[in-house]
Amino acid sequence: MNMKALLSSAALAAMLGGMSAITPATAQTPIPLGNLVDYSGPTSDVGTPYGQGIVDTYAWINKSGGINKTKVNLDTVDYGYQVPRAIAQYKKWSGADKVAAILGWGTADTEALTGFLAEDKIPDISASYAAALSDPTGAGGKAKPAPYNFFYGPSYSDAVRGMLTWAADDWKAKGKPGKPKFVHMGANHPYPNAPKAAGEAMAAELGFELLPPIVFALTPGDYSAQCLTLKSSGANYAYLGNTAGSNISVLNACKAAGVDVQFLGNVWGMDENAAKAAGAAANGVVFPLRTAVAWGGDAPGMKTLMEISKMSDAAGTVYRPVHYIAGVCSALYTREAVEWAAKNGGATGENVKKGFYQKKDWVPAGMEGVCNPSTFTEKDHRGTLKVDLYRMKITGATDAPLNDLVKNGAIKLEKVKTIDLPRKAEWLGW
Amino acid sequence: MAGPTLIPAGDFRTSYAEDTTVFPTRTGRNAMIAGIVLICFAPHVLGEYSLSLLIQIGIFGIAALGLNIVVGFTGQISIGHAAFFGFGAFTSAYLSNRFGIPVFFCIPLAGVVTAAVGLVFGLPAARLKGLYLAIATLAAQYILLDFFARAEWFTGGSVPASAEPFSIFGYSLRGDKKYFYVVLAYVVVCYLLVTNLIRSRDGRALIAVRDHYLSAEIMGINLTKYRTLSFGLAAFFAGVGGALYAHYNQVVSNEGFGIDRSIIFLAMIIIGGLGSIMGTLMGTAFMVLLPESMEWLSVALRDSPIDQFLGLKNNIAFLREMAIGIIIIIFLVFEPDGLAHRWRQIKAYWKLYPFSH
Repeated sequence: MNMKALLSSAALAAMLGGMSAITPATAQTPIPLGNLVDYSGPTSDVGTPYGQGIVDTYAWINKSGGINKTKVNLDTVDYGYQVPRAIAQYKKWSGADKVAAILGWGTADTEALTGFLAEDKIPDISASYAAALSDPTGAGGKAKPAPYNFFYGPSYSDAVRGMLTWAADDWKAKGKPGKPKFVHMGANHPYPNAPKAAGEAMAAELGFELLPPIVFALTPGDYSAQCLTLKSSGANYAYLGNTAGSNISVLNACKAAGVDVQFLGNVWGMDENAAKAAGAAANGVVFPLRTAVAWGGDAPGMKTLMEISKMSDAAGTVYRPVHYIAGVCSALYTREAVEWAAKNGGATGENVKKGFYQKKDWVPAGMEGVCNPSTFTEKDHRGTLKVDLYRMKITGATDAPLNDLVKNGAIKLEKVKTIDLPRKAEWLGW
Repeated sequence: MAGPTLIPAGDFRTSYAEDTTVFPTRTGRNAMIAGIVLICFAPHVLGEYSLSLLIQIGIFGIAALGLNIVVGFTGQISIGHAAFFGFGAFTSAYLSNRFGIPVFFCIPLAGVVTAAVGLVFGLPAARLKGLYLAIATLAAQYILLDFFARAEWFTGGSVPASAEPFSIFGYSLRGDKKYFYVVLAYVVVCYLLVTNLIRSRDGRALIAVRDHYLSAEIMGINLTKYRTLSFGLAAFFAGVGGALYAHYNQVVSNEGFGIDRSIIFLAMIIIGGLGSIMGTLMGTAFMVLLPESMEWLSVALRDSPIDQFLGLKNNIAFLREMAIGIIIIIFLVFEPDGLAHRWRQIKAYWKLYPFSH
């Protein structure tokens, strides 16, 4: 009893003491960067390779001397795709050890943080490509100003616009009669909803008949009911707004239900891992690729990419899906912006933001032919309006390792078309 | 030495007032006042991170206190508490955004509105008991959650709603350092309110319902009234907590008010001690600090020899979640009466030190 009470007193004291111990000791020199990742939440299927890409890139940067000879302290935090956890984490990053920039993740959390980021002057290079994050001044009138938000790649809305442009041509080329029918599918969540209005407006403009949207959750599940709705509605083109994990469920269920529809994925909606998991059901899905090539493609930058990949795979045998490469690109754009800032008055958030405006048709050094050229200006954060469309081709069984499947062509990314959208002012921010 | 600060060996209470006193000893009361005064200096001493943890403990502590009224004092069950917490958060944000009411007034108003909703969802409690009531409250959780997702005029739908920073008559308080005092004031007021509620006629009625509802009814206690009332009271504190939470984060997303949060509220009061007011705060502190210390541990573990040997890498994040669960199980096995009970034992031990039996 005595011992027990003594021990509990000690435990209580330790618990109270633990609070002060949690506050980490601060080292002066390294440049602090925040890396918000989803390794455990509903978008972890694509969040894991993307996050790994960023982690590997900064490990590689630190190995080769850091940014402007200063090491980077990348604080990687898994927030499980939950807005409250992202906000709690942001409070830490904007506190005493203020980060120079944040590599963010989801749409809901990035949009929730937009106001704080502007107030605290911390750039957020997100993996959310919601168009609302691309209007730094609010001049577009559709979204609140997001001066400190950046992302690499076409926005969700522009990707849909690109895919619909292709779909309209595809419909004509096939010579089918009547109006094609377009349906938006996805969870009732800011991320799938982000391009909904833009997609439906574009579809109407291009002469599509609009069907009521179909909702399915961000997590894998049984979506037979959604597929039956899809079938009975007679849709011809269906946009999948979710990430690969739940899209696979839909693709499988729709294959079983015998739905004949052309699926259009968003940038997170399809990748090599998903194709392997879905097998034949993923065949024919059209989706935009953010990089000029996929893993193992023929480009000068592939050499750097392989070196970065070796940071977490010394043997160099792992196949990296498209999201990994996008993660590396985002990380390297940020690196160069931070580098510019460090040389021009110090790596503060304000300077890093300016760093993003320094180059036109910007490709990070060493990434030639991998990352697509991007241009950011103070009035327009749409880095690129180029939408590279690919079709997922599945020609055999997909139970071998991914590396072999891609090598023997069982899983193939087939280039469909590149759509160069005009930089319309009225498309800014939505 | 034996002054009036010590409890005499026997129980010499000679009046009803003495029997229901809040602080049995003067030292206890002084220590509490000193503690509150001391914690007022926290913003000047602690870092922002520790401060944000204290604020979270305060906010969740208020909501958990409400749940303890239903579960700990009235003996009912509710697994939909987080939904009321969320309702308070959205209500306060809505009131300040839509009608321009200063946040200072929005917070108690949100409590009142949530209490009304709580009364409605408490109605089944008048007729249902035990597992049936649990399922009824679970239904409340899902009804409200679905409402949050669809009522775009009220919550903004799937897009997180924004909430104004705390303000009173045009003077707004920004930053954790100032907001800490707001939360502290609410914690003190709420805990005093409930402490006194339990000493009152209504509070005793709630406890009577818990201890033996048949005897209580025979003694003339209106079961329907008190069971429903307990839900209303619980929702009130959940609403106040939620409103504080909304204006703290300045963003209200309909995530974070799910069943998992409801279970965490239950865990807070079970770990702290059912039917113990101070225990509620202890349990909340435990549940807020546990994931943070686990996070700290997992960061320490990253790239350590153990990590390299076992090849954990990204799985550390999952290990953390599992460890939290395991610690809670171990805690419940060895500490079934909660932290409040352990605290009393520690006090008793040191009071008699070194001559304890």
